[in-house]
Amino acid sequence: MKRRLSLLAAASSAIVLLTALPVRTARRPRYGGTLRVEIGTSIKSLDPAVPAANSGEEPAKEQIDSLIYDVLEPKSKFTVNGAFHVTAFEAGKRAALAATEDYRLGRPFVDSIEITMGRASRDRIVDLELNKADFAEIPAEDARRAAEHGVRVSRSRPDELLALVFLRGGEPKRSRAVDGRVREAIALSIDRAAIVNFILQKEGEPAGGLLPHWSSGTAFLFSTVADVVHAKELSAQIVPVPKIVLGYDSGDSLEQAVAERIAVDAREARVQLTAQAVRPGLENATDARLVRLRMQSKSPGLALEGFVDTLGTLTKIEEKALPDPASPEEIYERERAIVSSYRVVPLVWLPRVYGLSGRVRDWTPPGPGESWPLADVWLDEPVEAAVEEGKK
Amino acid sequence: MTFRTKLFLIFTLALVVSVGLVAAAVTEVTRRAFDQMNAQHSDALVAQFQREFAQRSEDVVHRVQGIADAEGTVRMAIDLSRPKGDVSVYVNDAAGVAKAHQLDFLDFISNDGSIISSAEWPARFGYKIDWVLQPEDWVARGSFLMKADTQEGPALALLSVSRVRVGDKDLYIVGGERLGREFIASLVLPTGMRALLYRNLDPTFQAADLIDSTGPATQADQFAAIVQKEQQEPGEQIAKINWTADAANAEVFHAMPLLGRQKELLGILLIGSSQHDVVTLQRQIMLLSVGVVGIGLLVGALLGWWGAARVTRPVRQLAEGAREVAGGNWNARVNVRGRNEIAQLAKAFNQMTEQLVDQRERLIQAERVAAWREVARRLAHELKNPLFPLQTTVENLQRAKERGYGEFEEVFHESTGILLAEIENLKNIVGRFSEFSKMPHPELGSVQLNEVVRSVVKLFEAQFGAVGRPPITPELHLDDHLPLIQADATLLHRALENLILNAMDAMPSGGVLMLRTSPAADGGVHLEISDTGTGLTSEECERLFTPYYTTKQHGTGLGLAIVQSVVSDHGGRIWVESEAGVGTSFHIELPKHPPRRSVSFPISFDYEKEKEKEPEPEKHKQEA
Repeated sequence: MKRRLSLLAAASSAIVLLTALPVRTARRPRYGGTLRVEIGTSIKSLDPAVPAANSGEEPAKEQIDSLIYDVLEPKSKFTVNGAFHVTAFEAGKRAALAATEDYRLGRPFVDSIEITMGRASRDRIVDLELNKADFAEIPAEDARRAAEHGVRVSRSRPDELLALVFLRGGEPKRSRAVDGRVREAIALSIDRAAIVNFILQKEGEPAGGLLPHWSSGTAFLFSTVADVVHAKELSAQIVPVPKIVLGYDSGDSLEQAVAERIAVDAREARVQLTAQAVRPGLENATDARLVRLRMQSKSPGLALEGFVDTLGTLTKIEEKALPDPASPEEIYERERAIVSSYRVVPLVWLPRVYGLSGRVRDWTPPGPGESWPLADVWLDEPVEAAVEEGKK
Repeated sequence: MTFRTKLFLIFTLALVVSVGLVAAAVTEVTRRAFDQMNAQHSDALVAQFQREFAQRSEDVVHRVQGIADAEGTVRMAIDLSRPKGDVSVYVNDAAGVAKAHQLDFLDFISNDGSIISSAEWPARFGYKIDWVLQPEDWVARGSFLMKADTQEGPALALLSVSRVRVGDKDLYIVGGERLGREFIASLVLPTGMRALLYRNLDPTFQAADLIDSTGPATQADQFAAIVQKEQQEPGEQIAKINWTADAANAEVFHAMPLLGRQKELLGILLIGSSQHDVVTLQRQIMLLSVGVVGIGLLVGALLGWWGAARVTRPVRQLAEGAREVAGGNWNARVNVRGRNEIAQLAKAFNQMTEQLVDQRERLIQAERVAAWREVARRLAHELKNPLFPLQTTVENLQRAKERGYGEFEEVFHESTGILLAEIENLKNIVGRFSEFSKMPHPELGSVQLNEVVRSVVKLFEAQFGAVGRPPITPELHLDDHLPLIQADATLLHRALENLILNAMDAMPSGGVLMLRTSPAADGGVHLEISDTGTGLTSEECERLFTPYYTTKQHGTGLGLAIVQSVVSDHGGRIWVESEAGVGTSFHIELPKHPPRRSVSFPISFDYEKEKEKEPEPEKHKQEA
């Protein structure tokens, strides 16, 4: 009898729930609604001809611009109207975009996008948690906390490399080139697992090579394990051990935490390394820098070429171009050559993490070199509206 | 230096010493009082520090225990006690909790000693802290000092450890406060005192580790000696630091070691008290003392001068009187009133001078009588000799007259010749007396005594070796370096003639006449004329220079008197030494420059004294 009563109660509860809540998987995309987007940077201008004010603004500007303008050919400046057009813009604060009805690839599902700029990571998470925002990119290290607070989190495949780069010596205001044994000792002392587990809160992957495993398939060939004993042996060979200054972006809390951890690890290897904040655009006398390298392509060869282009401006590496197409072996050898010089020390691979509200549908995290597919997402009706519609 | 000056100096010195001693005593007492006060302040400050330290320690213990008892910490302990407990979730917790509990240091440490989260060094997660795993009753331990590692470097921390045990796993909470500038600033210090903290984080002295309430201490190198002494032998010590050459800028520091769990030296609390007030007060006292001494000196000088004058006035009068008497004023008297010793001395002086005058007058009278008697005797003696021939000649003439004309004529011619000769003799005697009474004053000029001696000796050479007379051998010992003297060569020549004649008379059987010259001690000359004659008795020596006294049958007694007169007129002195059977020596000392007014020295002879000097009974000395 009790069993029957329990089954009856469960069935009636299920009926009530099914009538009260919309069935997401079964519903068709819905047009309309305003997508509320929050970004951390402040964009001064949406004009693609106007360059970004700084490196932090550039990715966000590219993403917004990609909604407004379509680039038909890669690396071309010729653009046509994008999925959205600007209806309001307040430099550095907010922007309003409206769907382009005659968009060549079809009208976006949402009617408009409201972009709030300059929102801090914590505020973005709170707004997502309070359902005041629908979409925001959040730092990887905050993803776990955001998820714990009920935020819907979406992760891309790790496509951003955080690496330690020993700068080219002899340039103005820069220190001397760091001895190879010191570079190796520092590289061997770094506990990447601790960085991933503690600082990144298990988001991302330890990086031994320049390309992620999902892209090259050879990342496992590069060791990510710290070897403090060997690091100590190397540092013992150098008398006196020089004092290394490691610079990090003063506005990047992740870089600061990683730099300070590297300093602790280096200290264990008896290398004096000091983490020092570097303001973007200012020359600082540092021996090394933490650098974020974002893959521009899923192709390992193209991604590596992009990395080499960037790294070549910072440190002394061989900038010989890879053959087109390059074989996996050639890519590996090139990657190995760079890593073995210890001028570039890969640390961790970071995914791009997005926070989404519950009404955002059909969101797919973009891959390397891809922009946010906001024209493809649609917004579910609010729960209250669905309930009202059901009553009707 | 006069007696009055001496008295004045004694008065002044006594005053200065007295005031100086009082000033020194006051200064010393003041210094000791200040030292004692500083010591009390230091003790009070040390006690305050200890109270503050104990209070802070208790506070730290309570706060760390509060964190351990918090729900979040217990939940953390429960999570970590699970087999797959994820410590990474808590990696950032320590900073927030530490901030909420106002702690500078907070570490969550897992059962194996690994740091889960660190407030003071967030990047140090995963590393192990072994000491926390040591078996120790952390509750009983309370708080303790420790050298804690931070991102900026080692720091001195007041730590406490709490433990949360879930199942068989422990979660350690290590929290505390930084012992630094804020802690020093929290100490309430009296004016003129300050506290510094040396963090003994390095085996050697590091100036940067010495801080005060405002930050790194200035001139920290000055503390190196104190710190090094503490590092070698921890213990309370007191040291003084002179910041500048001015003693008022010095500070006395009371050093107190701060020890850790293992009794290792972790810090040194330095409580300094400025010496400015002490030195300023000492200087004021010194200035006051100097002022008092100055005024005392002035007043003392005036009083001393007045007192010394009052005391020494009768003495000075006595001295003046004595000088007058010595200068020949025998009528000098001292007018001193009172009954003290000085007055009695003055009265005695006056009596003495009166007696001296009286005695001198009597002596002069006696001498005059004696001299006249002597003159009369000599005159009688001298005149008696020619008178007898005169008398006999006249009697012969009378008898011849009675006998007849022929005989008379013969006797007359013979007698008149005798009479004329004797009259001539009488005239000579009178002439010699007249000559002595008219001794001329010396006509001074540069004289070489040796030449005078040689010329006189040459004059007598013929007589020394005269036929029918035992020879006299002259011996000259003349110093070639004899200085020139201012003298009358003629008078000296005459005096020498008399002395040589005397010597020749003293040697009727011949002998040796020795003449010796030598420089005198006062720059003058010394002449010694010695004979090897029969010598003189003491009585003869005593009267030798008395005018008209002679030991010779036909002498006038004026020779040596003339010699003495010449020597006196030259400001010199003459004395005689004689020994019976050996000979007699005359000594003459003449100054280089005779005084303008020569003083005739009375003839005196201390026979008893000479007797003591010369044990031989027959040796005599007479000084003129």
